[in-house]
Amino acid sequence: MPKKLNLTPYLFLAPALLVIGVFILYPILAVIYYSFTEYDIVTAPVWIGLKNYQQLWNDEVFWLALRNSFVYLLVTPILIVLCILLAIAVNRKLPGINAFRAIYYVPVISGSIAVGYAWRMLFDTNGLINGALLSLGLIKESIQWLAEPALTLPIAMALTIWLGLGYYMMIFLAGLQNIPEELYDAALIDGCNGIQKHWYVSVPGLRPQITFVAVISALAALEVFNEIYTLTGGLGGILNSGVTMVFYLWKQAFKLQHAGYASAIAMALLVITLLFSIVNIRSLERGTEQE
Amino acid sequence: MNRKLQFRVSLSVLAMLLVAVVALAACGAPPAPAAPAAPQVVKETVVVPQTVVAAQTVVAAQTVVVPQTVVAQQTVVVEPTAAPNPEAVIPNVEPNAEITLWTFWLSPTFDDYIKDTIARFEKAYPGVKVNWEDHQATFQDDLKNAFAAGKAPDVINLSVSEGWVSDYATKGLLLPLDDKVSQDVKDLYFPGLWNEQIVDGKNYQFPWYQGMNVELINMKIYSDTAGLKLEDFPKTIDGLPALCKTIKDKTGTLCDIRLTTNDLLAQMVYEGGVDVISKDGKTFTFDSPEAVSWLQMYVDMVKAGTVDKSVLVTDQDRVGLDLFASGNAAFYQTGPNLIREVRANNPGLYGYLAAVPAPVGRSGVLGKGLMSLSANAATKFPNASIALAQFFTNPQSMLDFSKLVAVYPSTPKSYDDPFFAAKPIAVEDSAKPIAKDIISKYADIVPTIPHKADVNDIVLQAVQSALFNNVPAQQALSDAVKKANALLAQ
Repeated sequence: MPKKLNLTPYLFLAPALLVIGVFILYPILAVIYYSFTEYDIVTAPVWIGLKNYQQLWNDEVFWLALRNSFVYLLVTPILIVLCILLAIAVNRKLPGINAFRAIYYVPVISGSIAVGYAWRMLFDTNGLINGALLSLGLIKESIQWLAEPALTLPIAMALTIWLGLGYYMMIFLAGLQNIPEELYDAALIDGCNGIQKHWYVSVPGLRPQITFVAVISALAALEVFNEIYTLTGGLGGILNSGVTMVFYLWKQAFKLQHAGYASAIAMALLVITLLFSIVNIRSLERGTEQE
Repeated sequence: MNRKLQFRVSLSVLAMLLVAVVALAACGAPPAPAAPAAPQVVKETVVVPQTVVAAQTVVAAQTVVVPQTVVAQQTVVVEPTAAPNPEAVIPNVEPNAEITLWTFWLSPTFDDYIKDTIARFEKAYPGVKVNWEDHQATFQDDLKNAFAAGKAPDVINLSVSEGWVSDYATKGLLLPLDDKVSQDVKDLYFPGLWNEQIVDGKNYQFPWYQGMNVELINMKIYSDTAGLKLEDFPKTIDGLPALCKTIKDKTGTLCDIRLTTNDLLAQMVYEGGVDVISKDGKTFTFDSPEAVSWLQMYVDMVKAGTVDKSVLVTDQDRVGLDLFASGNAAFYQTGPNLIREVRANNPGLYGYLAAVPAPVGRSGVLGKGLMSLSANAATKFPNASIALAQFFTNPQSMLDFSKLVAVYPSTPKSYDDPFFAAKPIAVEDSAKPIAKDIISKYADIVPTIPHKADVNDIVLQAVQSALFNNVPAQQALSDAVKKANALLAQ
């Protein structure tokens, strides 16, 4: 007797599959197609084969953007270290500690665009930072922070770190609260001081959270856009000093109206982030296995 | 038997139906609404001589007398017809057209004005319905997406100064107007504005509200601290470097000057008097001595440390305006319409404001248009769309708009209103008496530039290299010309 096809599971899956198909699968397939076309968004795409990829290979700004994106990855280790320290600091039963934790979380809910503009005001020629430095006598003339190519990326990275501090801190805090108190007691009995206690107990105990934060924050760093856009006023910094992969993609697609070329950049970004994530997860997992 | 019975029943039913119909007609029908007065027709019998030709037998034509009834006198009662609306100047507007208008950043401040103008339009062109949407920061993205989806609005508010009209017209997305608009209508506008952004010899826009750049002066810094006089403000851009040095030396503040980074080629043309492309359009020429001299002027100012570098190369006017509004700059070039922003953000500064004419560039041309209204080439209602674009830009609509905010009409007739002749009291109005003279001289002197966005990006990189990377101006521009020419060769 032939087995009766049971449609029930497919019906349950259908809404999710529909959403994934329309909002993820179709756009990915469309981007793959557009990457082989000359397309300015407003008129129909024209098939040009591999020309966009050839152009990409010879495009100095693309390689600069790639380099800047990898430099931006420095935010990941800085975030991990700072967030673990902060999580340890707030993982104590002190009066008002919850308010303290909430304050660290405020940048996360503030929105990167709003925070980006606030930072821009801070770093303006007549902004708060120059005002403070001038009044303290540390500088004699205002520094034009955002007009210095060498400072564009560091300021944007500092902004990303500040924005992400509260979010990743919460993840580590949750991890710390799952570490049994007995382990700390044992470490103290073994003669560990305060720092050693965290180095030998907290850090290994936070390994899953570190893996998670490393992957998530690295992907976010590779895809950074808002911070660069707001701080550089949509220009990408003087001499392209702040241009990252996603910013360059946006510029090509929406400023220069080369959506086909931007699709080729998107494909390159997809491959790079995929490879990077695989390597990242494998290396972190290997570290866990060795322990 | 049966047939007889059937016949009787049928007769009875018929009779009952007749009775019922008569009864209903007599008392059941509701009173009819008062009918409009019917035309009265008076008929009389007259004699009309006719020539009748016999069909079969051909004989000599015979004159006979045929009695015939004809209408001799007719009294027609009609509703009084309104006089033609003088603002309805576009003929053959499609009946019952429903069109969409997109404006750029006018809501909510000017909601009442836009709605009132639409109401006037719908009265002038009965049967046409207008749906209005205002788009702001995402206007360009929204519009491109709408064109891509085939759902672009019928009438679009496009910036002339940013080159949007030529961008869309080049792609065949806008409706050419020259052969659809009569000469009388064209003559309503300043010729220089009507002929702006010509693409392949055709005009695609009705010039709308115009801006007029003035130099807003912060008298606290400019006069009180630096000791400068308003009448000494440079009349040409060549005077700016010396002015900035004086202000820096005497007050320690930097000049709030902005390059139009979105369209440096246009700035080169107006400010530097540069021919950016050869007459035949086959070679870029923006590395000429005039271009180098123009760029060197800014390089010297950056090296002297007299300009705010982050404002100089921002693509957002707001950055420069904010610096001025914060009270930390001696002057800033902007439209008088944005003085309201200064007043709103820093009322304390408003009392110290003055305005002088903006310095003229080496081209000698005072400026170019600001905003326009264009019709979508794919609109289902081209005449209604043209009518709406024309209506918003007609002398009355323009005058009404100018009374609300410091913008200037594209129509000479609007300036005949006493409003423009009145002596200015507020600083926002300081340009009113000279507005007609200045706006009438606006002209688009930028030639058609292939790959405009890409070439502008190349020029921006060259300018930045010269300003911030110690690359000599000549070398930066020559390298940029090579890259731009390579684009032409593709």
